[in-house]
Amino acid sequence: MDLAIQAIGLEKTYGSGVEAVKQIDFGVAPGEVFGLLGPNGAGKSTTVGMLTTTIVPTRGTARLAGFDVAAEPLAARAASSVVFQEPVVDNALTGRQNLELHARLWGVGRDEGKARIDELASRLGLSELVDRAVGSYSGGERRRLEIARALVSRPTVLFLDEPTVGLDPRIRAELLDVIADLRARSELTVLLTTHYLEEAERLCDRIAIMHAGRIVALDSPRALLADLGRELVELRVEGNVDAALTLLRERGVADDDAFAVGSRVTVPLREASSREAIATVHELGVARAISTREPTLDDVYLRLTGDSLAAA
Amino acid sequence: MANLEIAAPSPRVAHARSLWPLATLAQRRFRLTARTPRELIVPLLTPIMFALVIAPSLKTALHTGAPYESFVAIGTVGLLIPLNTMFAGLGVIVDRVSGAQRELLTAPVPRALLVLGNALVALAITGLQVAVLLAVALARGISFDATATGIAWFTGAAALFALGMYGVAETLANRVPRQEEYIARVPAIAILPWFLAGALFPITALPNALTWVAKLLPLTHALAIMRYGLLQDSSGLHAIWGLDDPNAMASLSLAVVGGFALLLTLASIRAFSRSAVG
Repeated sequence: MDLAIQAIGLEKTYGSGVEAVKQIDFGVAPGEVFGLLGPNGAGKSTTVGMLTTTIVPTRGTARLAGFDVAAEPLAARAASSVVFQEPVVDNALTGRQNLELHARLWGVGRDEGKARIDELASRLGLSELVDRAVGSYSGGERRRLEIARALVSRPTVLFLDEPTVGLDPRIRAELLDVIADLRARSELTVLLTTHYLEEAERLCDRIAIMHAGRIVALDSPRALLADLGRELVELRVEGNVDAALTLLRERGVADDDAFAVGSRVTVPLREASSREAIATVHELGVARAISTREPTLDDVYLRLTGDSLAAA
Repeated sequence: MANLEIAAPSPRVAHARSLWPLATLAQRRFRLTARTPRELIVPLLTPIMFALVIAPSLKTALHTGAPYESFVAIGTVGLLIPLNTMFAGLGVIVDRVSGAQRELLTAPVPRALLVLGNALVALAITGLQVAVLLAVALARGISFDATATGIAWFTGAAALFALGMYGVAETLANRVPRQEEYIARVPAIAILPWFLAGALFPITALPNALTWVAKLLPLTHALAIMRYGLLQDSSGLHAIWGLDDPNAMASLSLAVVGGFALLLTLASIRAFSRSAVG
């Protein structure tokens, strides 16, 4: 299948020597919602920057809708739109003027642009605001305007770079509904970067987990979670964590995929029963607290990197 | 899943290669500028003060080939252009820090157009301000001796000098991180050369070494052409070149100002491209 987004050996090292992205490879199928998940500094925004031609890759190739972003940047940009992490709007202009600017720069005809702006303003609840200066918008309203703007040109690929970061919980929930609706109603290819697990789980068909500039896992949220089985036992260990982990492995409670972060040991159970596992842990006397729960993407991330996404 | 027409020629790219996006970018800049009247009015204040108040007071102090008020009225154009273009450069920092610059960088248009769109508006607004300054001078009774050819010399010199100065502003705006640092550099760039470029007195009145410095300043050449154009006064050109043919001297000075405009425009596009793209 032809890919809507393709990254081959993509690398970025800044002048300061910081290796922000280290040889990543991935492909996104047309119509897919693809997530780049990772904490701040993982390389997500740099990756988006390279794909959207605002950052020059040090090595590697990237293609958008079949166009090489280095060799055919105008064609690649014509096929895509971006919603940025921070507000990127002309506050002194009205919402409509911001939308018109995008429409004209992306070559949308005047009549088509006007109809599209009215349609998107209505769909995203902006009809009452669109003729006001953007400086008077709330954070959520401005973000909805930016999403509307990105859609005016009917892009083949939409980049959403941490679209909900910095928004209060109510506006964030509202915006997730907007993005979910977008996913359900259009055949747009979306690349979403986020460090919120629930966003990635709810919205993405596949997720690439990034850590320190590398992709450390890439699969559907369900497949990533399935790696950890249906249930986990989580222990708070007293004393030497490594010794406790070795003991748990020797007694057959833990397998190679058990992992420790600080004093917390997480043991995927797979086919084992949680009751038996807890009884064995009690018998060993290595834990001061024991609990069981379903695995989350944070556990996947923790196992792969040793860091917690939630803490990032 | 949708079928994509992979790598097919896009009509939008053909649009991007036309000059139509330049008009859109210029319209945007004009709308933003019109919402900040400070950028329109403040640069006018000092030149008008010089043209209408200070010059008449100094009238008897110096003698040139033209009446002194007329001499200074043209000289103040040489202050208005740098002040206005430097103020226009502030918009670049606003765009970068809190505006839509990143959105524009992802647009399917050549990035040089983002700079040229801003330059076009700076040029248009400067033109309007120069017209206001000259109209106010005329209303004050200051006389000019303009012919069609003279107006062409004046306009050419003013436009090229404004373009070059906007290039300076855009280059600086792309090199300094904050407005405060930008504003701190404005007096040295926009005002200091004005005192050396024969705006208030002929450059021959300067100490010899400074006369040579003045001859190297694009503003000196621009003012000499503008005075030749609107006052039929070629003494400024003669002070620079020492030739007999005023048109030849004006052509040489116009080449200097044109070179300045070209060089700084290219430098500003380069500075923008380097600073905006990581």
